[in-house]
Amino acid sequence: MSENSNLFDLSLRLPLDRFELNIEYTGSARMLGVFGVSGSGKTTLLEYIAGLRKGGRGCLSFSGESWENSKEGLFLWADKRRIGYVPQDHWLFPHRSVRGNLEMGKRRALEVGVDFEAIFERVVEVLELQSTFDSRVDRLSGGERQRVALGRALCSGPQLLLLDEPLASLDRTLRRRILRFLIRVRDTFDIPMVIVSHNPMELQVLCDEILVLEEGRIVERGSPEEIFRRKSMFDTAKEQGFENVFSGILVESLDRTITLELEHEGQPVRLRVPKVEGSVGDRVIASLASDDILIATEKPTGLSARNCIPARIEGVEETELRQFAIASIGEAIPQFVVELTQDAIDELSLKPGIDVYLVFKTNAVKV
Amino acid sequence: MTCLVVAVPGTALAYLLARRSFFGKGILSTITTLPLVLPPTAVGYLLLRLFANDGLLGANVLGIDLNILLTWKAVVIACSAMSFPLFVRTARVAFEEVNPRLEDMGRSLGFGACRAFASITLPLASRGLVAAALLAFTRALGEFGATVIIAGNIPGQTQTLASALFSAQQSGNESVANNLLLVALGVGFVTVYATEHLTRKSQKTKGGSR
Repeated sequence: MSENSNLFDLSLRLPLDRFELNIEYTGSARMLGVFGVSGSGKTTLLEYIAGLRKGGRGCLSFSGESWENSKEGLFLWADKRRIGYVPQDHWLFPHRSVRGNLEMGKRRALEVGVDFEAIFERVVEVLELQSTFDSRVDRLSGGERQRVALGRALCSGPQLLLLDEPLASLDRTLRRRILRFLIRVRDTFDIPMVIVSHNPMELQVLCDEILVLEEGRIVERGSPEEIFRRKSMFDTAKEQGFENVFSGILVESLDRTITLELEHEGQPVRLRVPKVEGSVGDRVIASLASDDILIATEKPTGLSARNCIPARIEGVEETELRQFAIASIGEAIPQFVVELTQDAIDELSLKPGIDVYLVFKTNAVKV
Repeated sequence: MTCLVVAVPGTALAYLLARRSFFGKGILSTITTLPLVLPPTAVGYLLLRLFANDGLLGANVLGIDLNILLTWKAVVIACSAMSFPLFVRTARVAFEEVNPRLEDMGRSLGFGACRAFASITLPLASRGLVAAALLAFTRALGEFGATVIIAGNIPGQTQTLASALFSAQQSGNESVANNLLLVALGVGFVTVYATEHLTRKSQKTKGGSR
């Protein structure tokens, strides 16, 4: 397949109870995110791509291979599509152990010429499943179940991985941990993925392109960096837990804090953030709520907050519910969204092009 | 014998009723359940009409004599007809308790429909199916009304536990009647207890691990 050819070619009309799923999408993102509030049709779309739901009109092809074409009467069920599907509720096989679950896709993997033993070993290593091998699946914790479900899909030799709300059923700490596993999976196995989520955070970390679904239609499309910063999207994104997401290299480990260096070609940007497991040189994903950041037009002194970063205002926007500024701290670093009141914007005369400082506490950063 | 005759078509029908939507499903389900609520003698009489020479499955219509009435085959048919609804209803519940999402997971791992059934649904429903077979067996053991009508009560040929107990009581042979009662109580208790046990255990495992 040439680099420019499209991975997905999808045209779908599928009547649902409240609305019609009406999707037109052609694209080549290897990590495609589908964002939307509950009931927007995300899971239905994923099940349709998986070949678990019939009854739509249209066509779907992946990587040049036609999976459905209602005009020609073509419909391949899930078993003919070579996908790996990880549903929100995991649905592990209760009559099999963890190992048994991982081996359920062995026959398909061998049929498509995948070295099952090699991929099995790799999956167990990457997802750290050794200690749970002989456990019954009903005795696993939520995070372990998620990893086994992911591992089961990977071991079947899929050419496309479909993840439905991979972090939704987990608490905050576990969510961070599973997110790290998902990043590992993305970087290790190089399998295209479609990730459905109502949480902007995981989509920002994992995806190349985001589709925003509203009542069964794609209303926005773009890169994660731009899409959640759009004026039209910000209120929804914020209600769904939008935070500024960035990654940095751990360069210094202190007693209760660490220093992260953000990738920047010019002056390195260093941030003091709460302590996290890891050693110097590790990449750390961090997030910062848009209403936890202060803006100062002059460098403040005598502050307890440990982070004071020079930035430039790129835009000031107003939505129905909020006002926010977009600030850039370096070319290769995603822009920061900062929520402000109109009074503050007026008093500081914030407008694009002015230099400011972003101020935030160490503990405001979540790692 | 009755268990075998009931189990294979009963499993297929129970799966069909549990998983598929089709025209006439309600009617099919009602017809299947009917022997459970009809007087056994009515079912016996219906079977008698069916296998009589001028019946739909009789010698005059088929052109050959199946030689069913008053033979051991009639016992099997009567017992099967009476225990079939119990098997199908129990097996249907067993299949309904296996979440279809588990089959979907199998399909996403490359399983065809048959393999998904054999590797996922069947093992998960197996306790319920064994319970269904045990209940069917118990029902067949107690079957009397339909059997005496089409198979009679011929010692050594078509006599069942129930009809032997009836004969012993009628002829005043108390010791035989008592022994047969003990056998009926023992077998009934063990099978019903095993059924309860299996049903309880299967409810714990079928939902899938979420």
